Amino acid sequence: MEGMLHARILRSPHAHAKVVSINTAGVPRDVVTLTRDDVADLEPLYGPMVKDQPVVAGDRVLHVGDAVAAVAARTPREAEEALELIEVEYEELPGVFDPVEATSDSAPLLHEGLEIPAEYRPDGRNVCHRFRLKSGLGKDGFAGADVVIEESFEIAGAAHNPMEPHATLAYWEEGRLHLITGTQTPFNTRRDMAALFRIPEETIRVVVAPMGGSFGAKTFMRLEPITAALARKARRPVRAVLTRGEEFITVNRHPAQFRIRLGANRDGTFVAKSVDAWWDTGAYADCGPSVCTKGGYAAIGPYRIPNVTVDSRCVYTNLPPAGAFRGYAATQGVWASERMTDLMADRLGIDPLELRLKNLLRDGDRFATGEVMHDVRFADCLRNAAEAVEWGAESRNKGLAVMLKGMQTPSRTGVALEIDAGGHVVLRSATTDMGQRPEIAQRNLAAHALGLSPDLITVGPNDTDLVPFDTRTTSSRSTFMMSNAIRAAAHDLRRKIAERFEVAPEDLVMSDEGVGVTGSPDLSRPFADLAGVRGEGTFVTPGGLDPDTGQGIASSHWHQAAASAEVSVDAETGVTTITRLHTAVYAGNVVDQAGAELQNEGSTIFGIGSALYEGIVFEGGQVTNGNLSDYEIPSMLDVPDFTYELLEGGEHSHGLGEMAVPVVPAAIGNAVAAAGFPVRNLPMSAESVLGAPHHPASPPGRRKRRPTSPQVGR
Amino acid sequence: MEEPEWHSPATVEEATALKARLGDGATVVAGGTFTGILVANGLIRPQAFIHLARVAGLIGIAVGDELRLGAMVTHRKVEMSRDIRESPWARVAECFAQVASPRIRNQATVGGVLCDADYASDPPTLLVALGARVRLKSPSGEREVLVADFIKDHYETALRADELLVEVVVPKPPRQVTYLKFRSRSSEDRPCVGVAVAADLDDGGRCRSLRVVVGAVSGRPQEFPDACAVAVGQRMSVDVATEIGRRYSELASTLSDVRGSASYRSRVIAVLVRRSLEPLAA
Amino acid sequence: MKIPVRVNQNAVELEARTDETLLSALRRADFRSVRLTCGIGVCGACTVLIDGEPISSCLVLAPAASGADITTTEGFDDDDPVASAFQEFSAFQCGYCTPGFVLTTRALLSENPQPTDDEIRHALAGNLCRCGSYVKIAAAVRLAAESMRS
Repeated sequence: MEGMLHARILRSPHAHAKVVSINTAGVPRDVVTLTRDDVADLEPLYGPMVKDQPVVAGDRVLHVGDAVAAVAARTPREAEEALELIEVEYEELPGVFDPVEATSDSAPLLHEGLEIPAEYRPDGRNVCHRFRLKSGLGKDGFAGADVVIEESFEIAGAAHNPMEPHATLAYWEEGRLHLITGTQTPFNTRRDMAALFRIPEETIRVVVAPMGGSFGAKTFMRLEPITAALARKARRPVRAVLTRGEEFITVNRHPAQFRIRLGANRDGTFVAKSVDAWWDTGAYADCGPSVCTKGGYAAIGPYRIPNVTVDSRCVYTNLPPAGAFRGYAATQGVWASERMTDLMADRLGIDPLELRLKNLLRDGDRFATGEVMHDVRFADCLRNAAEAVEWGAESRNKGLAVMLKGMQTPSRTGVALEIDAGGHVVLRSATTDMGQRPEIAQRNLAAHALGLSPDLITVGPNDTDLVPFDTRTTSSRSTFMMSNAIRAAAHDLRRKIAERFEVAPEDLVMSDEGVGVTGSPDLSRPFADLAGVRGEGTFVTPGGLDPDTGQGIASSHWHQAAASAEVSVDAETGVTTITRLHTAVYAGNVVDQAGAELQNEGSTIFGIGSALYEGIVFEGGQVTNGNLSDYEIPSMLDVPDFTYELLEGGEHSHGLGEMAVPVVPAAIGNAVAAAGFPVRNLPMSAESVLGAPHHPASPPGRRKRRPTSPQVGR
Repeated sequence: MEEPEWHSPATVEEATALKARLGDGATVVAGGTFTGILVANGLIRPQAFIHLARVAGLIGIAVGDELRLGAMVTHRKVEMSRDIRESPWARVAECFAQVASPRIRNQATVGGVLCDADYASDPPTLLVALGARVRLKSPSGEREVLVADFIKDHYETALRADELLVEVVVPKPPRQVTYLKFRSRSSEDRPCVGVAVAADLDDGGRCRSLRVVVGAVSGRPQEFPDACAVAVGQRMSVDVATEIGRRYSELASTLSDVRGSASYRSRVIAVLVRRSLEPLAA
Repeated sequence: MKIPVRVNQNAVELEARTDETLLSALRRADFRSVRLTCGIGVCGACTVLIDGEPISSCLVLAPAASGADITTTEGFDDDDPVASAFQEFSAFQCGYCTPGFVLTTRALLSENPQPTDDEIRHALAGNLCRCGSYVKIAAAVRLAAESMRS
């Protein structure tokens, strides 16, 4: 843009420190600087759930990379050079880098006197939210179990690493703030920016640029506050783009620790389960409270267990913030839960497939949150996965996993269908494109709902001035929500067109040529004549969980998937080779076949990365592997030939953006364990596999299983 | 800030004269993969660049009594050279072929990889095992140094301020040469451990000589002739291979990085050395 | 510094500092298909062909490219067999890495018109795709090879 400046952010080198002084006197006059004084008239803190993050540091920095100041200059190079001329005096403070440690009395306190909204439970030191669930007798239920086992699991943080970094352009024009930004959450961003800048929401316009990948990284507020504040001071458009190194200290996947206790009867029936979880949300909570809740119940698993206790804590530490990440807490929760299921299978001498089938939820069963399950396909997914690796035959080195994952609930999606002067039906939706090409599904859905060819449907720009409210493009909710909202909008459009014709909607005939009335050929009109007619549809999913009891509606709609894997572990080096991999996901009604395949293939590959390679290594709060050579994502050579099944059926279209991500590492982990290396932590690096106590006493291959009666099919 | 001077000398003499004159302020750019990373990420801010692409006489590949590789020969040229692949130095081509990706190999040079002396590299390990030498030129003359002595530590070589590496010379190798690149993570990874073996077996399969070099585990490639001595004069066997592996595991100093801890490296060195030697028992 | 190059067979004069990368210079000259992701040459998003060979433009100092014959996907015809094959198989999701894959594929097929699946994987392993489109990309490469042979 004309007159545009380039921003760079000055970041703290310390994990925890007082900011004693900031001196920008050395910065050239034509470079705009931003420090705490420049944002003193704004709300002091922002955040999508807990308002705990300043635009730039006030009197403290809380993680390595925390924004202390920012500059905007004519070129990125000049901005970079200007950063070096800012002098900051710090007074280092002790830091804490482990979520369990952070809850101890001696741990440094990150946010003193923070205001936490009523829906969260800040119960404990550095705990911004604590999700609890109790069903049945809770922990007293263990008394009724023949066998009780307990184990701990640890999952490392991970970096999204979208190919395109975060990028935002902000400019103020005629009293309005315009944000051209890569974001999955345009309406959250608009709302939160309005609150931060103390201006009405309508003064802010968010235009969503198609993103070169996001996977959860480009959610809520990232570069928008700083660029908007700089643009305000500079009275010029300001653009910020993060470097790859900055991507690793901006927002990551939550490191997590679990302690799980599982009680079962000798015949394999699950009796009781308790899940203790600690989610390291880093210096700022971001959406940590929600991650903590979802991960808490994902770790219960898709099982019928009468007595469940969950105590899941979202904890502040002096690491970079953690937030939404593809798989959304299910990757961590499912790992812990499914490894535990196999440990119980081992303990009882029951086949891991049989044990799962015996306990899987069925239609009509209640989940531990109290909600009744419907449209249940867990067993189908699991059987499909097991068959794909010939589970019944030679089963050494094979592993299974099955999961339930919730979808953002409650949520709301609005869609409009508007006829334009050219005779096209323009679909207006805030669903953002991060590679999943939602416009293909949208056009197919609208075409189907209206009885027209998809060629007649176009998708309008993603601009909050033009599109109806949508909660956000996350948690694989969009296809499901959109399909319902589009149906409602199509219904409304028909109704409005019928009104124009002064007939009942049933008498309307719509085809690619235009609109007509049954029995009255002379009343036909091309679509162009109906320009301006607009149908609107909204789909709302109510719900939510009581944070103290965990009861309520966790998810209007459950993601259901299973995976199976076969591995070959080099016992002398710990290197794992995946020889077979299969995922079975309940897709429902597929509306974009190629897209569905791409999403599932992509999720599977993401899962392989989480399983074997990906883990951010922190040392004293510093990221030590913050580049794509030290932190590796899967290459084409790392991906074996794999298979999958998209289970169809039912009337709904289910989201596929994340389904395979959590079950793939769990299945691989169970396979590695079956090969003799009982791993507990992710990622399963060669070294950690080698370190998992090998059981030389057990013969290679599966231990002998006591036969159980097969699960009676439903 | 002022942009660095860009020099594109046409001869070795010009290049070394420039080096001598500009001293520490100048950065030599060969293929540019390493300097590219340093400059683009703001890690160095030289006053001048000395670009070697136009320097005459540095891109030759000659296969004769010895293998001579010009310093500016790219990894890719070594990898694809028919002359090298059909010669006793075939393993050298295979080793260079294992480095990074085709893009990097199209750019990175034989001289560059040695002058960078990055510990997590493949070619230096094999070149040490083959007794390769580097030819260094300066305004005052010329000298040859064994690669084993040229690489002193990670990012540290014996190159003097006024010298340019112009050629790598590899003597005729013995019949049994292997290079094993062990990756602990992605198939795109740098080596966690590299093991080069150069063995001369007589007609009865007995070892006349044996060199085993371990690289990527510490600042420079390491070799323990005493440990290999146990094999000389006899046929290789699994027991001998295991014993040499065990000794290398004990003797090699190792470091920790993202690819593995020092103790992991020590542990797998025993396995990888053994696996590299076992085929000689056949 | 003014650096004369040929891009897609047209003479272009790049304007760049001596310590600027070819990637940066090309993007400023509006060749936006060439992209920055890792900045250290490992991901392939910045791939260009120089004299037909794939190179990481993020590692080339702009002056070093003087006189080079550079190819980017801006120079591809609408009916280019590689680009068409990628379209046919929907071998992309966000599309950010796609130009790099397309160029690498063109270079592979020029050198090896009948690559085996293994050769395809090895040739493309240096191009990363975070969206995970590898399965369809491999299919597209096989299709491109076939269509170029006929």
